[in-house]
Amino acid sequence: MSETNRRAVMLGGALGALAFMVEGREVWLTPRQAHAEGVVMRVLDAGEVETLEAMGETLLPGARKAGIANFVDHQLVVPPGDCLLMARIANVLPPFANFYHAALGGIEKASQAAHGKRFAALTGAEQYDFVDRLRQNKIEGWQGPPPPFVYFLLRHDAVDVTYGTVEGIESLGIPYMAHILPEQRW
Amino acid sequence: MATNEKVDVVIVGAGASASVFACVLAKAGKKVVMLEQGPDWHLEDLISSEIWGRRLKTVAPVSLEGKDRLGYSYNAGWGSGGSAMHYFAMFPRLLPSDFDMKSRYGRGLDWPFAYDDLAPYYDRVAEDIGISGDAEAESRWRPKGKPYPMPPIKSFRHGDLWLKGFEALGITMARSTVAINSTEYKGRPACIYDGWCDTGCPTGALANPHMAYLGEARKKGAELRPFSSVTRVLTNPAGDKVTGVEYYDQKHERQVQEASLVILAAFVAQNPRLLLNSATDKHPNGLANRNGLVGRYIMAHTGATIWGLFDEADVQNYMGVVGPMHWSYDRYGKTARKDAFGSILWHCSPALKPNDIGGIANSRNDLFGQALVDFIKRGSRQLSRVQAFGEELPNADNRLELIGQKDAFGFPMAKITHSYDKDAIGVWEQATEEGLAIAKAAGAKESWAIRPAPTIHMAGGTAMGKSAADSVANGFGQTHEIGNLWISGVTLFPTEGAVNPTYTIYAMSLRAAEHLAANWSTIAS
Repeated sequence: MSETNRRAVMLGGALGALAFMVEGREVWLTPRQAHAEGVVMRVLDAGEVETLEAMGETLLPGARKAGIANFVDHQLVVPPGDCLLMARIANVLPPFANFYHAALGGIEKASQAAHGKRFAALTGAEQYDFVDRLRQNKIEGWQGPPPPFVYFLLRHDAVDVTYGTVEGIESLGIPYMAHILPEQRW
Repeated sequence: MATNEKVDVVIVGAGASASVFACVLAKAGKKVVMLEQGPDWHLEDLISSEIWGRRLKTVAPVSLEGKDRLGYSYNAGWGSGGSAMHYFAMFPRLLPSDFDMKSRYGRGLDWPFAYDDLAPYYDRVAEDIGISGDAEAESRWRPKGKPYPMPPIKSFRHGDLWLKGFEALGITMARSTVAINSTEYKGRPACIYDGWCDTGCPTGALANPHMAYLGEARKKGAELRPFSSVTRVLTNPAGDKVTGVEYYDQKHERQVQEASLVILAAFVAQNPRLLLNSATDKHPNGLANRNGLVGRYIMAHTGATIWGLFDEADVQNYMGVVGPMHWSYDRYGKTARKDAFGSILWHCSPALKPNDIGGIANSRNDLFGQALVDFIKRGSRQLSRVQAFGEELPNADNRLELIGQKDAFGFPMAKITHSYDKDAIGVWEQATEEGLAIAKAAGAKESWAIRPAPTIHMAGGTAMGKSAADSVANGFGQTHEIGNLWISGVTLFPTEGAVNPTYTIYAMSLRAAEHLAANWSTIAS
């Protein structure tokens, strides 16, 4: 069998989907689509979503529209054994929501303490400086998981949702070459 | 609670080692049951995505402590096939000097058998599962064995471009040995070099356990029960025999599987934890633990990791396999470095994807914002990597212990404490410096090293040896204390060398399983 034909065979393999809840119904969407359609979050509250999206965008421009908050929120709903977050393989003990609540809460407390404003309300330069200090564990009075680990995981989430997808890889001009396409082009 | 019909053998786990025992014993006519904590994967479940590939890895079952905490979940498996579902299929052998370090150098521990005892099994595993490589080139570093059944895999520019650098440092490279088909083999196709090996190869070109011993075992009647979490090994009142295991099924209902023989074939956290959690009045410190060695001597490999950005327009780094194309044992000598004892294995280079631990973005964890975007764009065609696995000596203080926290079934969880010693760090530092010199000589326009030393692979925890005084099991994995309680796999390693463990796991499991089958009546009765 030629390589091309074999790849085509594998592309016909098992496809699934990410199931988002929209108006009480399960709808199969990519996180990018879920973000665009304003799908309601199930674990993260509005403040946490705002912080996560602002952090994601600071860490990697494009992460907000790629649906970082929808992706993370969706993965916090599923059982730990089905979870696809980097937290799973970075030895975070489940439930993973505990980590995100603590991390995003820590960012807000630190932002309020340093600037008297929410992280999402900081200027671009202030957000950049905040993340740079988070990365280097230089935030005074930090309350939450170790700051470099928060940086590490949220940055991974941003990269996953922006460049770990079919669209993301192909946007770099390199072929995705899937044996089996991820569910809903993930 | 349900008690299942007694079987000949119950195996805890369904990874590489378990699959060999299941295959050999099922072929010998034994009734075999494998209890796997995770799902039962099939080829059609394997999705080419670093994100989806995480399903093949365990959710942290253990608390991690120490100066150099283990990267446990990344290395461990979850589901049938175990960690060999997401491994890189890189198949170096240990060398003769790895088996008698204590006798030869006064360092580490001796294995209870020699390289020559294992060599025929290395050769047979190559035939059984399909290995591509150049045995003639390897004979520069090890006793000559049989040729591999397939020629080496293809090389790509992102690997070949390092050869100039290695040559400049006087390091002879050879084509790597991998459990990936370079040609069709036993009805399985050749690799198409898409670089998704670690997310689970769905074509069958990569020899995961399903493609080899596990598939054979099931054809011969071995039963695999997924979502079965084993909590204890059960013993008779006298404490001199095991009678089976207790486990919880997918509905969290308690089950007992009685068996004539129990084999623990789980990973570094679970094999010792099960022994400790199975304590009775006859075994108050846990099973096979009179000498207090269960849980000790846990090891990892350091990884001197050097990244290079090259000026070439496209080094094809998105193609190939995730294991290496080239490698060298030239620096493997354990006394080759100043003031630091231990081996290293150089290898290059993996196919890269933008995300995940080994991906492009993570190679520069300091970058974020637009700088990260720019780096990912450049790196997606111009980045490559060399790495040297570094040996860590067994240290009794690197250990697993039970803690007060309980799991979903009410049994104590475990913590693993791990710190590298000065030898491991010294070997890693010197390899890192050499790697940076290799990058410069290879023409990299920018090069950098990953710091601090990562923890790659895991081994130890139930070390085998010749004496019941200083080991948990003998050279076949039979525990010294209870004759029908066996251990298999990487937890038996007394030392780890500087090579990926799976080829050795397969070879020593085949040796042990055939010994068990041949002596079944005396061992299991």
